[in-house]
Amino acid sequence: MIDQSRQLRSRVFYTLFFIFGALITIYLLAVLSPLILPTLIGILLAYVTKPLLTFLRKKGINKSLSVTIIILLFGLAIFGIGKKIYSLIPSSQQQLVIRVQMQNKIDRMYLELLGKENFSSKGNFVDELFGKQMEPLLASFNDFFSMDKKEAKKFKDYLNSDAFTENERSKILSQYNEINNYVFPKTVIKKEVNSENNSPLPKLPSLIPASKITQFFSELSKWIVMPFVFLFVLLDDGEIKKFFVGIMPNRYFEMSLMVFESVDRAIGKYLRGTILQSSLVGLVILVGLLLIGFKPSAAFTIGIVAGISNAIPFLGPIIGFGAGILYAMIVEEITPIIPFIGNDAAVLGVVIVVLIAQFLDNTVFQPYVLGKAVNLHPLVVVLGVTGGSIAFGFWGMFLAIPTIVVFRVIISTIYKQLKAYQIIY
Amino acid sequence: MSKAKRLFQDVLWDNKVLKIFAGSKSSVLDVLKSNPMFEDFSNSELKAIAKIAYEREYNPGEYVFLMGQPGAAMFIVFKGEISIQREGENGAEIELTKLKDGETFGELALLDDSPRSATAFVVKPTKLLAIFREDLLNFLAVNPELGGKIVKKLAIITGYRLRMTNDLLMQKQAELEKCREELSEMKND
Repeated sequence: MIDQSRQLRSRVFYTLFFIFGALITIYLLAVLSPLILPTLIGILLAYVTKPLLTFLRKKGINKSLSVTIIILLFGLAIFGIGKKIYSLIPSSQQQLVIRVQMQNKIDRMYLELLGKENFSSKGNFVDELFGKQMEPLLASFNDFFSMDKKEAKKFKDYLNSDAFTENERSKILSQYNEINNYVFPKTVIKKEVNSENNSPLPKLPSLIPASKITQFFSELSKWIVMPFVFLFVLLDDGEIKKFFVGIMPNRYFEMSLMVFESVDRAIGKYLRGTILQSSLVGLVILVGLLLIGFKPSAAFTIGIVAGISNAIPFLGPIIGFGAGILYAMIVEEITPIIPFIGNDAAVLGVVIVVLIAQFLDNTVFQPYVLGKAVNLHPLVVVLGVTGGSIAFGFWGMFLAIPTIVVFRVIISTIYKQLKAYQIIY
Repeated sequence: MSKAKRLFQDVLWDNKVLKIFAGSKSSVLDVLKSNPMFEDFSNSELKAIAKIAYEREYNPGEYVFLMGQPGAAMFIVFKGEISIQREGENGAEIELTKLKDGETFGELALLDDSPRSATAFVVKPTKLLAIFREDLLNFLAVNPELGGKIVKKLAIITGYRLRMTNDLLMQKQAELEKCREELSEMKND
């Protein structure tokens, strides 16, 4: 009798406790939703770094020193890559030069493809067959790259500065003149409307910097959580696991230990596998681009972009491919290591490199590095990536597949262990 | 123990308020120290082991594990009483042994996840210390020397139990042989 009433009390207590806990969790998740992403990324980074910590500790270095070394390495890597990427972002003046170079390249490719000497001359059979359809396409391209008066002046001022050698200056100028002298389509210096003067609303210059500062600090306050999460998860000596295992009923004690371990191992393996796979794709693209004659700095940057974006299924390879093609279009001179790739074949070279990287990724890297961990149905992948991008933007798209994989691992492990411990049939 | 030391322990260590902050690590250390497996370990070594030990409280009538379940952890009786049982031919539980404070059971789970060979049943309100296999393996990777010491002790205990089982088997075989002889003598008579 006493036992029965005690059992009832326990049930009521645990049910109420669970409902209360669930409500608080939902409320906190809703209120603190901006912190979810930095927290997740902090946890992911800690997961990925754990083997390095184990490696250092195996070498006899104590935990605090190991964590300090990892943080220093991380800091240096972020600083180094950040600095490199920042130095590669073109200034507004450099962007104008790139626009001229790209427009010139596209116009030339168009003329070459159609076998024309200039836009008014007669071309080959491609021109006869598709010339009329391709003209508006090129016109819209040129329109996109063209400069207004202000930009043209800025471009000329920049060109006359000390940033260029005489040789470079004359080359860019001739490209600029070429795109201006083409009979068709006449696009340059046509945007005469100055948007600043025509704006119906008066500008509030004093408010703009203030809002930017506020925005910066609000972003900073969110992301400041990330290094702390990273640090505490890395420093954790099993306390997090102990807490969760501690609240499990005795009946599920051993099972919960097994679930924790299996999930931990599978997620760690998957995340490290994904990073290794993306790094290998990036490396193949880096080597490939170096072989076809890209500058090391450009090949390095495109390799990083392609490697990171490769984590996004379907869209990732397109991003890497796009970055390579863009560079191939503006690059003036390539010095290929492979003999049969000429100066004009940079675009083709990028296509081949990306195709090889994707082929290797699908046939070697994914099956051997990730194994069956990522065997998701293509429809799940498409829906996951699309849903992630709708709900959480870029990061949602980036983290959709890891999240799905993590949940799949958790559910399948719990199911397997419940059966092994004879809790369910 | 010196008077001053005792006074210090009484006033500070046994003070309930301080105990909340200190946790029960000292008693965990005492339990580990009293166990033959860890008897010759230093205090710092025991502290490192205590970090991977889980404290669990069980009520009478509960099962720590059932026969046939995959083994994942080794248990040390902190306080209380555990009955190790096996199902007999008629379906009734046969008690193989009773374990009290400081005694160990389920050690084989530290070696692999083979199914439990018996059921552990809680007789009295019991507090157990559990050491999980994977935690021990991770511990072994980071502290190979200490981990090696634990594994060696584990091998000694397993060897001891094997010897005990062999002795028991020999004894039972001798008893069986004696019974056979007596039976044949009775037949001859």
